[in-house]
This record gives sequence, C-alpha cells and structure tokens, in this order.
Amino acid sequence: MTDLNTKLRLELIIESPALRRAEDVLKESGATGWTVLPAMSGFGGTTRWSRGTDISESTDMVVLICIGDANVIKPALKRLHTMLDRRIGVLNVSDVRVLRPDLF
Amino acid sequence: MSTLLSPVVLFFALGLIAALLRSPMSVPQSFAKGLAIYLMMAIGLKGGVEMSKTAMDAQVFLVFGAATLLSFGLPFIAYAALRVTSGLSKMDAAATAGHYGSISIVTFVAAIEALRLAGVPSSGYLVAVAAIMETPAIISALWLAMRGGTSKSAEETAHDRGELAREVLLNASIVVLLGALIIGAVAGADGFERLSPFFVSPFQGVLCLFMLDMGLNAGRGLRRGWRKLGVAPIAFGLYMPLIGASIGALLSTLIGLPPGDMALLMVLSASASYIAVPAAMRLALPESDPSVYLTLSLGVTFPFNIALGIPLYIAVATMIAG
Repeated sequence: MTDLNTKLRLELIIESPALRRAEDVLKESGATGWTVLPAMSGFGGTTRWSRGTDISESTDMVVLICIGDANVIKPALKRLHTMLDRRIGVLNVSDVRVLRPDLF
Repeated sequence: MSTLLSPVVLFFALGLIAALLRSPMSVPQSFAKGLAIYLMMAIGLKGGVEMSKTAMDAQVFLVFGAATLLSFGLPFIAYAALRVTSGLSKMDAAATAGHYGSISIVTFVAAIEALRLAGVPSSGYLVAVAAIMETPAIISALWLAMRGGTSKSAEETAHDRGELAREVLLNASIVVLLGALIIGAVAGADGFERLSPFFVSPFQGVLCLFMLDMGLNAGRGLRRGWRKLGVAPIAFGLYMPLIGASIGALLSTLIGLPPGDMALLMVLSASASYIAVPAAMRLALPESDPSVYLTLSLGVTFPFNIALGIPLYIAVATMIAG
C-alpha cells in the first residue's frame, strides 16, 4: 500500500467579504496552499440562506480548505478563532492522510 | 398611472410576486451582475456625452457639494429616526442608516427612464452626482457605529481599513459610472453614435430583465425578513425616502435646479443602497444584521420608490420648479 502521511485539515465556512482576511492569516502562518469553494445554501440559527439571493454578494458564504502541518495550522487556528468572535462562520480541524506530504 | 403600468415597473412586480409565491425562478447571479454593469455603462456614457455639450458652471459644483452633504448627513437623520422609533441596536441602526445616505443606482436609472418618457429633460452630470453620493454615507455610518469604541483588535482594524478603502472607493458602481462618464465625455456624440445599437436600443429591454431580477431579490428579502423587522422599521423604510426626497427638494430649490435635475436629486436622496453599502458593512460592521438593512433597502424602500416614489418626486419637482 502507498505510504500515507498525517496532516491537519482546516475547514472554514465564512462570509465572502471576510475571505481575504482569512487567506492573509493562512499566508502569514506559512500555509503553502488552500482552496476556496462557493457554499450553495444552508441553515443556521433561525436563518435559511442561499447563494445568489443578495445582489451585493455580501452575504454569500465560501468554504476555505487548507491542509498543512500542525505548526502551520495551529497558529492560524488561533487567529481565525479570534476573527470569528465577531463574524458568522464555522471552523473545524480534522486529521487527514495525504499521499504527497511535500506539497503541504 | 402610466409610470405604474410601464413594462419596467410591471416586470419588477412580476419578480416580486413570483418570489412572494415562492417560485423557484431565478436569474443567474453572474448574468444579473453583467446586466447591472451594462446599465451603469449605458447611463455613464449618455451622461458623459451630455456633459461634453455643456459647460461646468458654478451651479454644477453647488450640486456636487449638496450631494456630498446629503450623503454625509442623511445617515444621521436615519439613525436618529431608527433609534427613537424602532428597537434596533446601535450597530444595526448605524448600518441601516448608512444605506439611506447612499444611493440605489437602479432606482436612478428607472427615474431617468421615467423622466425621458414624461418628456422632462435632465442633465448628464447627475450621473457624477450619483457616484459622489455612494461613499460619504458609509463614513457617517461607521462613525455612528464606532462612537465609544469597537471590539476589533488593532490587527483586524488595520487589515479591514485597507479592504474597506478598496471596497468604498473602487467598488463596481464608482469605477463603471465614473469611467463610463469620462469615456462618454471624451468620445462625445459622434463616438457614442457608433455605440448606440448596443447602448440605446436594447436599454429598455435590459432594464426590464434586470428589474425582474430585482423583483425576485426584493420579494425573497421581504419574505425572509419582514417577520423579524416589525412595524416600526418597515414604516421607516417607507417614510425615510420621503424625508430624503424632501431635503433633496429643498436643496435643489436653494440651488435653483430645473425640474428634471431636481427630480433626480430627490430620487438619489430618497433611494437606499443595496450593493455598495452592504458589502462595506459586512466588512466593517460584521456584528450588524444584514437581514435588517437588506430587507429594508431592497424589500421595502426600493419597491416603494419604483412604484410610487419616482412618479411622486417627478410630480413634486415639476410643481416646484416647472
């Protein structure tokens, strides 16, 4: 079987206006790459939301995924957590196994 | 009555009703964004061509000054009204007030079309006035919200300031409106003539298509938000445009504007933003509730202005200055 390496996977669901700030946090923490996906719709608290219903696009949500070593993800996690004190969003981290560790 | 039965208003009503009835119909978001850019380019170009024909006299600069004053000042009136009459928090009231100092470019486009259909001339430089009024209200709203300090960290504040400056000064409305205005002024009537098959003949049809989407947006916003808002904030969405229009009419009278220009300044003062300001508020005041200000500006004030406000402002302006 191919060797697999354990890394941390950070997933952040956040409003699109805050995306650039979250990306800057990852960059400053030393992340070498991440991916942003559009979130289509969801439900939270008492509000159902869906993409494409706000012409300003200011309430559209995006999903930011970053895989990296603990020494990169953990400092980023702390700063992103502070950022979420004032914003709508969901942040989670999980262990994942990757095929090409040199890419992360 | 003829304004109420114009295809532009009727398509808006169609979208609104479809959304209220929970129709799954939608206009793709990127397509709607393209339509908005087209409309802003068209009115910017036309305004620029008109500006190239007329001299920039002292009255024009007085209007620019009045527009800046209106955009800075209206949020303070809106904030006071919301804090006194509604149960909105300081943050929500400030964010909402910012929307009412800024402008709705689609309401402005619809008003230009209504004036054209009514045979009332208006000046091209009012497009520049629309662009001027986009931003100062955001500064007033932030000042109102941040009096007494903010919970932001120094790092977050510094980062957001740069982002906010970009959003406020270089948003699509300002770039496209002012850019098209300058291009129109440089190209002149001859240059614009070559573009007229794209920017003149299809304009009404594109506006109808865009209004259908706006109706859908307004209806969905209203459906989601009206229960949460209550009577006082919804009433604010109906009387605040009248307050704005009245102040716009007063300043227009003092400056001595002709009826068409007065009607447009009234429309700009009465309209509420739903593109530039929400984006700035999400960035700068993330604790504020977007369902409050988006429902009010798009679900209450926008339909009011399209259906009743524009004909009313034109009638009043014609009566005062005609």
